[in-house]
Amino acid sequence: MKVRIEKILKDYPIETSVVILAFILIVLNPKRAYSGLVYATKNYLNLLPVIIAVALLIGFVSEVLTKEKIAKIIGKESGLKGVLLGTIFGTLMVGPAYVFFPFFKELIDKGANVGVIASTIGSWAIKLQWLPFAIAILGVKYVLIFNLLILAYALSSSIVIPYFVKKTKP
Amino acid sequence: MTLIFGTIFIVFTVILYIMFLRKDKAKLNKAFKKSRKSFIQNSIRIFAVFILIGLLQSFLSKEAVGGFLLEFTGVKGILAGLVAGSIMMGPAATGYPIAQYVFNNGGTVSLATAFLASWVMIGIITLSMEIKYLGKNFAIARNLFAIVSVIIIAIITGLLI
Repeated sequence: MKVRIEKILKDYPIETSVVILAFILIVLNPKRAYSGLVYATKNYLNLLPVIIAVALLIGFVSEVLTKEKIAKIIGKESGLKGVLLGTIFGTLMVGPAYVFFPFFKELIDKGANVGVIASTIGSWAIKLQWLPFAIAILGVKYVLIFNLLILAYALSSSIVIPYFVKKTKP
Repeated sequence: MTLIFGTIFIVFTVILYIMFLRKDKAKLNKAFKKSRKSFIQNSIRIFAVFILIGLLQSFLSKEAVGGFLLEFTGVKGILAGLVAGSIMMGPAATGYPIAQYVFNNGGTVSLATAFLASWVMIGIITLSMEIKYLGKNFAIARNLFAIVSVIIIAIITGLLI
């Protein structure tokens, strides 16, 4: 048991600090801290199916898809096609981008272009399904310009980011 | 909506498993093992992120954040929006009303935009997760480029609207 606690502390230092912080805040301001924890639990349960699906997808990618296949679809050679595919995926996907980080890691390990992943995460900021709501409260003109600029950012990050990421070992 | 999508997503992955892994027991077991491991890891990390977001939201109301931002204008406004949006995060749907509050109370377009753009593009809370999974170089390069982009986007929208 003691070993396990040490392992948790070592593997999840930030997560452990968050839990400690939550406990401190519960003592200081129980009502607000409590509503924060309720928010966390609700959101986690709401996202649980997505988290499960992402985990299943990671297992699938690691066992079924070959490096060649992934490199062909979203690797360096895929060029603009891969970037556009990633951008569309990021725009449409539900749930926060960080839920998909381990999935992206698996893809990069298997030969995906980091530029494709960068544009996917970049375009995550657009969220097509929320646009009607955004337009309703912020106006059409603003929301259109704002999202077109984000799209430009997402696409250009597919060119910029690979320059700063060292080539992964073969 | 997220629940429905998530369920469809699970059904989709199960179909993939049935199509490709039905006949290969060894591979199926390996895939499950990997899935279980990443599910547990991801759950712990995401739950911690949600606790932080939940605490931030319950301790900082829309009015508190908006009121803080409204004290700044011009370049300082863009920077204040950038900092506030990078620290705070959450679904886009929670960010829009804060931007609306800033608009309605006389904040500049570029201030509201800097806040909203960094809200959806930059996450200090998830930075450690990004580094862990995608590497230090990737995470730092992506977030620095996002910061530059937020400033550019804020200036352009400020000029256009």
